Amino acid sequence: MRSLRSGLLVLVLALVPDAPLLAHAGDGAGGFLGGLAHPVLGPDHVAAMVAVGLWGAFLGAPAIYVLPIVFPLVMALGGVAGMAGLPLPGTEAAIAVSAVVLGAMVALAARPPIWLAAAVVGAFAVFHGYAHGAELPAGGDALAYSLGFVAATGLLHLAGIGLGLAVRWPVGRLGVRGAGAAIACAGIVFLWRLA
Amino acid sequence: MSRAGALTCWLLMLSCHVALAHPAYEGATGFCGGLLHPLLVPAHALAVSGAGLLVGLQPARRRLPAVAAFAAALALGFGAMMLAFAPQTAGLVLLAATVLCGALAALARPVPVVPGGALALVAGAALALDSPPSGISVAVANITLLGTFCGALVLLAAVAGLTAKLAHGWRRLGVRILGSWIAAVALMALAARLAR
Repeated sequence: MRSLRSGLLVLVLALVPDAPLLAHAGDGAGGFLGGLAHPVLGPDHVAAMVAVGLWGAFLGAPAIYVLPIVFPLVMALGGVAGMAGLPLPGTEAAIAVSAVVLGAMVALAARPPIWLAAAVVGAFAVFHGYAHGAELPAGGDALAYSLGFVAATGLLHLAGIGLGLAVRWPVGRLGVRGAGAAIACAGIVFLWRLA
Repeated sequence: MSRAGALTCWLLMLSCHVALAHPAYEGATGFCGGLLHPLLVPAHALAVSGAGLLVGLQPARRRLPAVAAFAAALALGFGAMMLAFAPQTAGLVLLAATVLCGALAALARPVPVVPGGALALVAGAALALDSPPSGISVAVANITLLGTFCGALVLLAAVAGLTAKLAHGWRRLGVRILGSWIAAVALMALAARLAR
């Protein structure tokens, strides 16, 4: 009986997986690719990010670089709030509203002062960051995940800026304003789905 | 000890691995392993890149003191490490310094020598103290630390030099945007570590 127990113990220990103990998790849902996918797979995020770039390009210097600098910095503050579990009601609705407002700004060719444009973008960035931070998978590699979603956000801004550079031509200007209107309409659909 | 007990001990010894602060890379000990350490550990690469961007955006006369302060702090930190001083909070301090470096790079304003030097000292010391070598023997560990010292300095100098060359016109805007990304990533990582 005793030898059977010892034999079983040996067998169980032999079956214990011998993966190395690492302080940092590898890639996966909470890694770089997970972070990269998070903004890209959310159409509401994509619409708002592209609208930020379009609006920056539409406003020209200094907004074309101030908005993409302000957005990630304020978004990170929202992410901190999300990770800390601070309550921020209406996050999803605010993200949908961000698409409506930012799209409308582009469609209406609004030219507010740079501080106001930065404040509007920054206010919405808090909600986008909160959503990313709150959805960080438990046990994931926070640095890789953050690197992924900040890079994805920045690349979406750059895509918007790239498209927005078409405002140099009259037809391009119409196209950019049309894209803004489409983003605002998409935001209304996102809001309607939430209701 | 019974035969089964001895076998159990033997199996346990077979199944255990060294606990590492970072994922292990092939040949990541010795001088070459240390040299690659600041490149292969994401938090360290981010910290040195942030510091490099900030240094590169400074006027030419302020770059050398900042690099010298960083090097001195690295050397002091590694000296402390050789005396078995490795505080657990070094990683958090390094992330906080990265947030500051990235945010200041995004602002692209000249940083006075004293605060800039202090920031370089904190970043360098935190980087050194967050780089415990995984080598078992003291000689290998010391050579790994020497490699890490060289790797961090080379990376800092390369990023700062490249930034200084690129920091004109629209490329300066790219550098500032990169600084804001670095600050955002480090802030999120810092918050996640504090939340756990």
